[in-house]
Amino acid sequence: MVFLTAVNLIRSRGPDEWWRKRKIFKLAAYFYGRRRNCYSLAIRSVHRALVYATKSRQERKSDLAELWKQRITAGAAQHGIEYWQFMDGLHKNNIEINKKNLADLAAWEPASFESLAKISKDFVEKNRNK
Amino acid sequence: MNHSQFLVSGFLRAPIYNGIGRQINQLQRVTLKFCKSHGSSQGMRNFIENNLVDFAKQNDSVVLYVKPRRHRSPVIVAEYLNGDRKWMSCHNRPSEEILKWLSLLSLQAGDTEPIRYRKHWHTDVPSIQGPWNPFTHKNPGHIIAEYPHEGLGRVFKAPQSATEKLLKIAKKRNESENKKE
Repeated sequence: MVFLTAVNLIRSRGPDEWWRKRKIFKLAAYFYGRRRNCYSLAIRSVHRALVYATKSRQERKSDLAELWKQRITAGAAQHGIEYWQFMDGLHKNNIEINKKNLADLAAWEPASFESLAKISKDFVEKNRNK
Repeated sequence: MNHSQFLVSGFLRAPIYNGIGRQINQLQRVTLKFCKSHGSSQGMRNFIENNLVDFAKQNDSVVLYVKPRRHRSPVIVAEYLNGDRKWMSCHNRPSEEILKWLSLLSLQAGDTEPIRYRKHWHTDVPSIQGPWNPFTHKNPGHIIAEYPHEGLGRVFKAPQSATEKLLKIAKKRNESENKKE
């Protein structure tokens, strides 16, 4: 006897299922627990990971700007000046060094940073009396 | 998601491992994997039969391994002195092509894959004026100071600790109880 009906009940999702899922598992290689081995868990984690990666590209810019601002503030505080005064003094004297390089100067070239702080302090002093 | 899975990251550096003393062939070993019967390995089999020994004699610094694997597609795996590894499929490739690719691999170094630069510059001297340290902008008078010194020898009053606060409260309560008695 040949049973033909049972065969019709098998549901094939397609011949490329293994490769389709492999694309997801490759991205989930270092995930925790079942999220790297079970497809239905992995696909959710991978989608979230991709979303985080996209969003964090914007956040990285603001994170770094915040870090640079902190470092400039710390460097300026060593010379007795506040961040906004320091930046204001530089801009009003047409010194357009960006925050990244100012932070690098504060860390690696303290003498140059001191001279910049002096420019700002003199400017502040001059305008205080006005 | 681990970005080192997509793109290896590293720092910028000059490839100075070659040419200072003499030219050193960067290819360390090559593994040729093939099937003895399948048609996709025919080119590889012909290569092994005809060209492999001559190639080995010409590149005597390279170790060649031949690995017959049943029911698998032919593959070249080249390993380099810096640890990198190149995997190449030779499925249905004729033996002339395999010889050309092997010759190319023998001339390459291991770091031909693009990397994500963590910094797009490199210096051996990041600081010329000397990096900042906590004593950079401090008056070095403390080095030659003689103690007892009024300014440097002052005592910093620490804030009250929790134990001290509790003891103070207990003392107050004891005093008030004694007063009642």
